[in-house]
Formats: sequence, structure tokens, C-alpha cells
Amino acid sequence: MLSLLKRYRTLLIVGVLLLYPFGAFLTTGRRGRDPNFVDRAVIGMTAPLQRGLIGLIDGVKAVVFGYIDLREVRQLNEELRTENLQLRAAVQALGETRAENERLRGLLGYAEAVQGPEIPARVVGVNPVAKLLSVRINRGESDGVFRGMSVVTPDGIIGQVVRTTGGWADVALVTDMQSRVGVRVQRSRARGTAAGSGKGPLRLENMLRTEDIQEGDLIITSGTDGVYPPGLVVGKVTHLEKTEHGMFLGGDIVPAVDTTKLEEVLVVGNPFGSVAQAQAGGER
Amino acid sequence: MKFLVTIALALLLLTLESVVVQQLGLAISRIDVTVVLVAFLAVRANTLEGSISAFSVGYLLDLMSGQPTGLFTFLAVFTFLVGKLVVSLVEVRGRVAFVLFAMGADVGHGVLASFFTWLTTKEGSATALLPGLPLQVTLTGIAAAFLYPLLRRFEASQDRSSSAGLLR
Repeated sequence: MLSLLKRYRTLLIVGVLLLYPFGAFLTTGRRGRDPNFVDRAVIGMTAPLQRGLIGLIDGVKAVVFGYIDLREVRQLNEELRTENLQLRAAVQALGETRAENERLRGLLGYAEAVQGPEIPARVVGVNPVAKLLSVRINRGESDGVFRGMSVVTPDGIIGQVVRTTGGWADVALVTDMQSRVGVRVQRSRARGTAAGSGKGPLRLENMLRTEDIQEGDLIITSGTDGVYPPGLVVGKVTHLEKTEHGMFLGGDIVPAVDTTKLEEVLVVGNPFGSVAQAQAGGER
Repeated sequence: MKFLVTIALALLLLTLESVVVQQLGLAISRIDVTVVLVAFLAVRANTLEGSISAFSVGYLLDLMSGQPTGLFTFLAVFTFLVGKLVVSLVEVRGRVAFVLFAMGADVGHGVLASFFTWLTTKEGSATALLPGLPLQVTLTGIAAAFLYPLLRRFEASQDRSSSAGLLR
């Protein structure tokens, strides 16, 4: 028996190396597994290296483009002064509107939606496999970032945290094939779902064909998915498919944020954030 | 030692790749540096040593993918074994031959990854990741051309140190 094992040692080892991950893939499928000790150690080693490389590239960029930018600063300064004046006027007007809105909300007995903390983060790298379109950010469990939290920029939504370790988190992008976001047409308040296609535009799904929607409409989050807070910009409708039969219409939504050029993002709490934190606290 | 050098190199290359891909703003195309490493192992390493190294390289890729499922660990070992078979039939010598070999391995790796991903997600079409494949294979070929001399140098230094050990 032992001699048999010795004779076929290579074949056995190679067989195990080939079939063990395949079996794991067939059983875990798309879910993946939570990071274990070894995973955390490897991520802990690579993430600071990614941040260092980003810092190096940023430094080189700053030196190269610094001089070119300086020449345009005077003209830009003048433009910004003018824009600043206009914006200050707009802010004052908005302040009035907000105060009025709060008074009216108070009169109607509306409760203010509780938003979690906004955690600024830096994108340090992109997932080297296009199977899951995701990026890595330099904030993790130790900063209050947990799985399921949403990631946004001032221009629109980016994605959802799918894995966190000590100081790092992986964010699945809205453009990923597995991504689904509850959305609403800002103008008509019609509800639907924005699904990632793995490429550029998102697909509009689950919207009744009788709903009021046009090309160019702004799509915002509805907040019904329990991940993204309501009212965040998702993108614009560019192409609509209204068939004569069937319940739903289809269409394309061009994301408001170009996910290939991400640098600074914000991680925001979701309705389940407190539960995740409590669970993490309990596990500790 | 060789095994550890392979792992360290894979870690470094994957980290570099994730930053370079971000800076280039690539959407679905990647640079398959791990396939280049696995292709090199298929050309130079023996079956047992190469399988273990390919398994480890695949594990790292799986880990960096954000959703480790074991798919890329399996594909790395599978690509290595198929590569080994091809090397037994066709001579892969020199930089150009290696680049073509690595590109071929990347095509197989990419198609299988798309197929298995579709098999588990069942969302979108099986070809959703394929539009990015031609650019990915080209970038992988360029990476292979640059990495080949580096990998040869590493291998030579490893061989020197192991033969020095034998003389002692």
C-alpha cells in the first residue's frame, strides 16, 4: 500500500491540488468565503504596498503636472472667484428652502432619515480579475467599514462593500454583473432596478412599461434595497426599449460616475450597518 | 526557496497590476501576470513543484479577486498541466515563443474563467467578459515579453545558489 502511494505520489498530490479548489468552487459558487487568518495576513501585506505605489505615482504626477497647472492658475482663479460668488448666492437661497422644508416636515410629522457616518477613503487598487468588478479602499473594520455598506462620491453611487479586513475593504462596483440597485426616476418617481452588465451602462429592469420614463431622465436610488440611502444619483437613461408585449420595459442607464477613474470615495452607513457593527462586536 | 521566490514574485506582480490597471482606467480588461508566471512554470518546472507553485499563485489571485471561490486556484493548476502537455509536444524556447505560449494560455484561461463564472452566476451572457479578452491577451503578451528575461534571471540565480549548496 505504502509503495503504491510512493509510486503514485506525484499523481495523487497533483490530483488533490486540481480537484480540491474545483470542489470548493462548485460548493461555494458565487458566494465566496469569508477571509480567514491567512487571507487577512496576505491582504495585510499587499495593501500597504498598493498604497505606497499609489503614493509614488501621485508624487510623480504632482511634479510633472505641477508646472503645467501653475500656468493656468491665474485664469482659473478668476473663474473660480466668479463661480464662488454665484454659488454663495445659490447656497443662501438653498438655506432658505431647507429651513422652509424643515418647518413643513415638522408640520407633517416626518422623521429625519438617520444617516450613518461618512467615512472618506482612497482607492488603492483594482481587483486583478474581471470576474468581480471591484476596487480596494484604504478603510476597513478598524475604521467602522463593514460588509454591506454603500460607497459613493458626490457625483453618484459607486458600489457596495463586499469584504473587509483590519484596515482595508473590497468594494463591488455597480457595473458588476451581480450588482442590483433599487432605483427611481427623479422626475416621475417611477421605481425599477438598475442591474450591472459587467461593462459600461447599467440595465434598467423591473420597471412597468406603463411608467412615465423618457430618455435623459435622471435615475436616483430609491432606498428600497436596504443598501443605498435614497436620493443618490445613479445615472441617466440613454436608451429605452418599450416592447408591445410584456409587463416591463428595458433600457440603459449610463452611470453618473466613471468607475474606471476612481480616486476618493465616501463609505456611508446603511440601515443594516448598526447590525453589522453589533455582530462584529459580538464576535470579538 | 524557488517556491517562496515564485510566491513573492506573484504577490508583487499582482499588487503592481492592481495599481497599473487602476491608473490605466481599464474597465474589464486585466493584465494576467499570474498566467505569465504559470506559463513559465509549465516551461521550466517539474510537475510536482510546478503544480504546488501554480496552486499557490492561483490562491493569491483568488484572494485578490475580492470574492475567493477557488476558481482561479483550480484554473492555475489546470493551465499549468495543459501547458506542461503542450510543452511536451511543442518546443518553447526564446522570448517570442514564450510570449506566444503565454498569450495562448491566457486565451484558454480567460475563456474558461468566463464560462465557469457564467455557470455559477447564470446572469448576463457567457460572453460578458469576452469583449475585454483581446486587449487582455495583448497586455498579457506585452507583460510576458518584459517578464521573460526577469524570470530567467531569477531562475538562473536560484540554480546557482542550489548548485553552490551541493558543492558544500
